[in-house]
Amino acid sequence: MSAASHLEKARTTKPMWRRLVGSPVNLVLSLMIAATLLVALPSVIRWALIDAAFFPAVPESCRTISGACWSFVIAKHSQILFGIYPDDERWRPLLVCMLLIGLLVYSVRPAAWSARLAWLWVGALGLTWWLMGGGLGLTVVESDLWGGLPVTLILTVVAIGLGFPSGILLALARRSQLPVIRLLATLFIEMTRALPLLSILFIASIMLPLMLPETMLPEKFFRALVALYFFASAYLAEVIRGGLQAIPKGQFEAGEAIGLSFAQLQAKIILPQAITIVIPALTNTIIVMIKNTSLVLVVGLFDLISSGKAALADPAWSSPSVETYLFITLIYFMLCFGFSRFADRMERRAKVYAK
Amino acid sequence: MGKLPQKHVWTRAHRNLAYQALALLLLFGMVALVVVTASTNLADRGIETGSEFLGDRAGFTLAETWLPYSPDDSNLWAIFAGIGNTLAIATLVALFSTFLGLFLGIARISDNPLASGIARSWVEIARNSPPILLLLFLYSFVAKILPTADATQILPHILVSQRGFAFPWPTFPVSDHWLALGSVLGAGLVFAASKAAKRRHLRSGKKPAWTAWAAMLFAGAVFTGLAMTGDGIGVDFPVAHGPDMEGGLILSPEFFSLIVGLTFYTTGFVAEIIRTGLISVPRGQWEAGYSLGLSRWRTLRLVIIPQMLRVIIPPMNSQYINIVKNSTLVIAIGYADFMVVMGTMINKTSHAIEGTLIIIATYLAINLSLSAVMNRLNRAVQVTER
Repeated sequence: MSAASHLEKARTTKPMWRRLVGSPVNLVLSLMIAATLLVALPSVIRWALIDAAFFPAVPESCRTISGACWSFVIAKHSQILFGIYPDDERWRPLLVCMLLIGLLVYSVRPAAWSARLAWLWVGALGLTWWLMGGGLGLTVVESDLWGGLPVTLILTVVAIGLGFPSGILLALARRSQLPVIRLLATLFIEMTRALPLLSILFIASIMLPLMLPETMLPEKFFRALVALYFFASAYLAEVIRGGLQAIPKGQFEAGEAIGLSFAQLQAKIILPQAITIVIPALTNTIIVMIKNTSLVLVVGLFDLISSGKAALADPAWSSPSVETYLFITLIYFMLCFGFSRFADRMERRAKVYAK
Repeated sequence: MGKLPQKHVWTRAHRNLAYQALALLLLFGMVALVVVTASTNLADRGIETGSEFLGDRAGFTLAETWLPYSPDDSNLWAIFAGIGNTLAIATLVALFSTFLGLFLGIARISDNPLASGIARSWVEIARNSPPILLLLFLYSFVAKILPTADATQILPHILVSQRGFAFPWPTFPVSDHWLALGSVLGAGLVFAASKAAKRRHLRSGKKPAWTAWAAMLFAGAVFTGLAMTGDGIGVDFPVAHGPDMEGGLILSPEFFSLIVGLTFYTTGFVAEIIRTGLISVPRGQWEAGYSLGLSRWRTLRLVIIPQMLRVIIPPMNSQYINIVKNSTLVIAIGYADFMVVMGTMINKTSHAIEGTLIIIATYLAINLSLSAVMNRLNRAVQVTER
């Protein structure tokens, strides 16, 4: 009998009414929760739906109401999503968002892992660059005008894309038999993991200009990217190391016995198995990265939250910040929740095949 | 004796040495390059390095600090005030979320669909939304519901106004220092008493009721501390003065939202850890406890919880470290934690390198001491193998 099953069984075999009111504890629990919901739900529904303003999406619609000002979100959704990107060209960042989400979803499937995947990433990022920046037939849009969701996604995807190979190298280095290499990798990983991302972003934004010659002074965007890249490689390295530790020693010995070099052994035998084991942890890390990208607001980058704040600054509206932050939270939630659901389903399917 | 052919052998050992030397060389090269450019950049901009600035007048205001602070204090004291705020946030959030997470984790595996449904949604919202947005949302929500005009009483003696929430708070006349002294003394006595009790237990096999002793000692020490202050303990009730409030404990809207927001976020993660711990103990352990004649409570305390703790403590350690790290997010709603202090100071004094070192050292120190405590705890609950 597995550990969880006696608890799971109680949840599935008893009829609904018994689970609600069948025992004194459940009766009290149900009554308490029902009472709380009865008190809270009506005012929430009144605020969010009944007293709220939806259409027409003009500033006047929110002057007289006591509920939520959704008309603001409806009127400004494009500005919140894409910042100050030129109005006529907003199909381009939209396409970029879909492309990048598709790329992430495509890449977490083990079936996609081959040398082709790296080229696909290069291609997709090149396409992103062209779509966002323009040129070659498209109107040129300076990077100062980029903002909102595409910036969030570009930062996430590039940090993960660069961080993944570095993470593999760091994980291998941390398990290396060479003491110097092991020490350096351990130091880097542990330092990065001990610091809050916000302080890494901050340090990157003040230290990079000091450490590099005046001529190669990086823009804000790249400073944030460096910080996110360091962060991603350290966290991915620890996840991958977990997978490496789970590989039985016999696999290494078998590889060496048939005369594979270190690189061949890792690439053909160890890493494919190690990474497959840690897919759940990898998707978790990707979700953490998506959530963490929201912090670039603090170093003055124009991400989703900043563009929301910019939209709120419009004096014509009564600055409905609660509604705007809810809207942005919902976007993040849909991204992360959708991604984790997708990963869960894949994992279950992989388990079925394994049987 | 035939001479062996002198062939140049490039063995694995040589290669390994070469790789390591190369890595070190690269690292030193990079460090040297960075140091050279940084020092020329610093010299170009006329920035001095050194730690004297720590003694200078800070000169910036911090909205709210737990340690007494004014702009006339030194930079060093400002750093301590920042660390104080960070630790205050982290401690409160850790306490609340551990407590709430315990209940939420139990609710998560409850067979009551209402309870498990609510717990499930809480966990999913916490896991899939950025904490900084939760803070921003809560802060704007709190600002919206606070009365714009006069302070209002929502519950007896609990007031709200634009300045925040005011609660009744006990007062200790003369000074808090005696109280602090009394508490420290009391804690010391309790510790000594428990050690002595343990020794006696090991020697004689008799278990002394040291908890009662310790409680008495602690209470005695605290009351001695209080008695020295002259008057007894009072309660300070907040009073409304138009839109302003006076007396009691006043929590600013910023502090209130950050505690609620970070607690909500962390509780979601703690609940999952507790749930994993709960389902990791097989039912047979309960049955084994009962068949030994233990009561339900003693089975829980002596059999179930010790086994749960083994599963729970390592991930809880990383959650506590995450709380410290997430406490930096309060910058988004204008509360001053350690990072805000360092950012302001570095902008003001241009001591970027020293500031960076202080940031790294402080977080390393906090996280390493947290891990040390949790590892000790972890060792205490591990299976003792023979």
